[in-house]
Amino acid sequence: MATSLYGASEAQDVICVFLEREGDTLQRVSLELLSKGRELADEVGWKLAGLLLGYYRMLPLMGQAFEVGADEIWVAEHPLLKTFTVEAYTSAAFQVIMNRKPSIFLCGATPNGRDLAGRLAVKLRTGLTADCTDLRMREGGILVGEVTGFGGGVLALIKTPQHRPQMATVRPGVFPLKPPRTERVSRAVEIISVTLDEAQVRTRVVEQVVGRGADITQSPVVVVGGRGIQGRFDLLRQLAELLGGEVGATRPPVDSGQIERERQVGQTGVVCRPKVAIVCGASGAFQFTVGIQHADTVIAINTDPEAPIFETADYGVVGDALQIVPALIEALRNSRVAVTSG
Amino acid sequence: MTQVEHLTVDDARWDTLFERTRGAVALCYQCGVCTALCPWGQVREGKPLSVRSLLRRAQLGVPDDHEDIWLCTACAQCESLCPRGVPVAEVFQSLRGMAWEERRVPKGLPSVLWSIYWNNNPWSQPPSHRSRWAKGLEVPRFDPSEHEVLYYVGCTAAYDRRAQKVARALVKLFQAAGVRFGTLGDEEPCCGDAAKSLGYTPYFEEIVQNAAQVFAQNGVRRLVATSPHCFDTFRNYAPRYQADFEAEHYTQFLDRCLSEGRLRFSREVPLRVTFHDPCFLGRRNDEYEAPRRILDAIPGLERVEMARSRQDALCCGGGGGRMWMETSAGERFANLRVQDALATGVQVLVTACPFCIACFEESVKAVGAPNLRVMDVAELAAMAIE
Repeated sequence: MATSLYGASEAQDVICVFLEREGDTLQRVSLELLSKGRELADEVGWKLAGLLLGYYRMLPLMGQAFEVGADEIWVAEHPLLKTFTVEAYTSAAFQVIMNRKPSIFLCGATPNGRDLAGRLAVKLRTGLTADCTDLRMREGGILVGEVTGFGGGVLALIKTPQHRPQMATVRPGVFPLKPPRTERVSRAVEIISVTLDEAQVRTRVVEQVVGRGADITQSPVVVVGGRGIQGRFDLLRQLAELLGGEVGATRPPVDSGQIERERQVGQTGVVCRPKVAIVCGASGAFQFTVGIQHADTVIAINTDPEAPIFETADYGVVGDALQIVPALIEALRNSRVAVTSG
Repeated sequence: MTQVEHLTVDDARWDTLFERTRGAVALCYQCGVCTALCPWGQVREGKPLSVRSLLRRAQLGVPDDHEDIWLCTACAQCESLCPRGVPVAEVFQSLRGMAWEERRVPKGLPSVLWSIYWNNNPWSQPPSHRSRWAKGLEVPRFDPSEHEVLYYVGCTAAYDRRAQKVARALVKLFQAAGVRFGTLGDEEPCCGDAAKSLGYTPYFEEIVQNAAQVFAQNGVRRLVATSPHCFDTFRNYAPRYQADFEAEHYTQFLDRCLSEGRLRFSREVPLRVTFHDPCFLGRRNDEYEAPRRILDAIPGLERVEMARSRQDALCCGGGGGRMWMETSAGERFANLRVQDALATGVQVLVTACPFCIACFEESVKAVGAPNLRVMDVAELAAMAIE
């Protein structure tokens, strides 16, 4: 077994989290990892650092990272880090890690995060526990990653005792996001210079396109429309906006092209877990209700009092959604209620 | 034709496939009957599912990461006329199995298997709700000293509210025929059809062995299943794992109750109906007559045949794990099947499988045929008893 570039004796008592940005905010998974990292660091009295790579407008991102628990942020700025390319980011992260020698390095299992973590692990000659479903700290600062595999329901606990850093990736949504810290703590920003060469970047960013597809799995409120709303998703969109939520749909409106396939809720679409699901004009076929059964509260509006959706709903309104939804929008505009996420 | 510049032949891959299909892939001599018969050709104009070329690629050990391997509904239309007797659906399952190993699986499918693992059903439903379908009915817990048969409800009939009506109708029929039956309640094991169809063979084997064990512990010697899929699994696969029980589909059981005079239909059901053969009952288990005999015994009921029926029945599209995958609106076999039924001018499209019911009811709406009802044989039969 090849030894890693630095071992346990040289490693510093720091957990480092890779901070991935999404426009002017940090990705939720990075914040989730900082929350978890804080917990793990406190168990052994270590520090928690965030690794931030980029070129512009880094300050607001640092503020967010400190709020959820980072003690320090390691920043590398370089024009080649303006947008993610796996070559530049791997090289920069590698240089920062070799400079600071953290004991643990965590990364979100996003497309870019996975790309980065794999290459980085090879470059550092260390192990990588990918797609962990839990992280635990053992005595002596040994990180144990829980990995589930299918086939007999294997649950593997993986550790990397000899090599440093101990690396793990975690999918978004695995760890809860803790409320921001209120107490004042020391906040250190360390700029670490990195050398990058344009020649090593073989990826050319042609165009950055931000997908308009919404992630309804993350939304606290989902307003779902069925055949019965006759394509009036504009109404549902207004309602969803007022409630801070997203619009979803059953299969028939998706089939008839009234709304994007990404918003289909159900067995072959999205399974969501909102606080509130408002289901308008959907009869409640089983293959659809599978997609909302984890909602805390389901409110159904349907003209047919016999519709099976009422068996799934916590609250039922017998009536035409096309009349009730506008009235609801009106009432909400007057009272300005909103459900907040978190 | 697909433009292929070069193919990488992988002997190890071929060896694995040969072993897993017990040599069956080798039988294919590329006549192409399978491709011609495959229903995908009817919904994908100019772009049929080339079963033949997939088999050829499999024989050469050419890796297939194409979505095509996930299309097969296991309807056995191709198998029914294959001159070499290639078990095509099993080859597809083996190819899917390799895709699992290489982690090239469509989104959403791992959670189906995880659901079986955690919830004992592929529908992400709570295990403790499994016997709720029977609320208000007298359904005793199976006791081998009292009961002649175990009623195996199955996951879909236990949880899908539409299919629950079929299970409730069956209880009514069993009671009317004086059948001494019981169920395993919340402890009823999943049959594993989803795991098998999706190609995760090692887990399927575990599920079916577990089921056989549960049946043995409970002294089950005979069971009657609601779904042809569970029935097929128990009849054709469980015996490979030392299972010691007999499985029947409920249509076969009711048909016998009728011929033995235990069950009698006294009420008129004046409806014009046509029967759709579920693939896993008809082509896969060669049972075409039992459901028809039941329907024909119902007074006042008129039964007509669709243009393609029995061995030639068109699949609903829900087999082979397709219930857990999305099929785009223009490519659903069930839409065509509903048209077949409409052409006969019937009031009711009857079938005997919960997957067929789900697909057809969706398509009746999609096609815009509000006057065509989709019913199960059991539901019609229950209407005919007092």
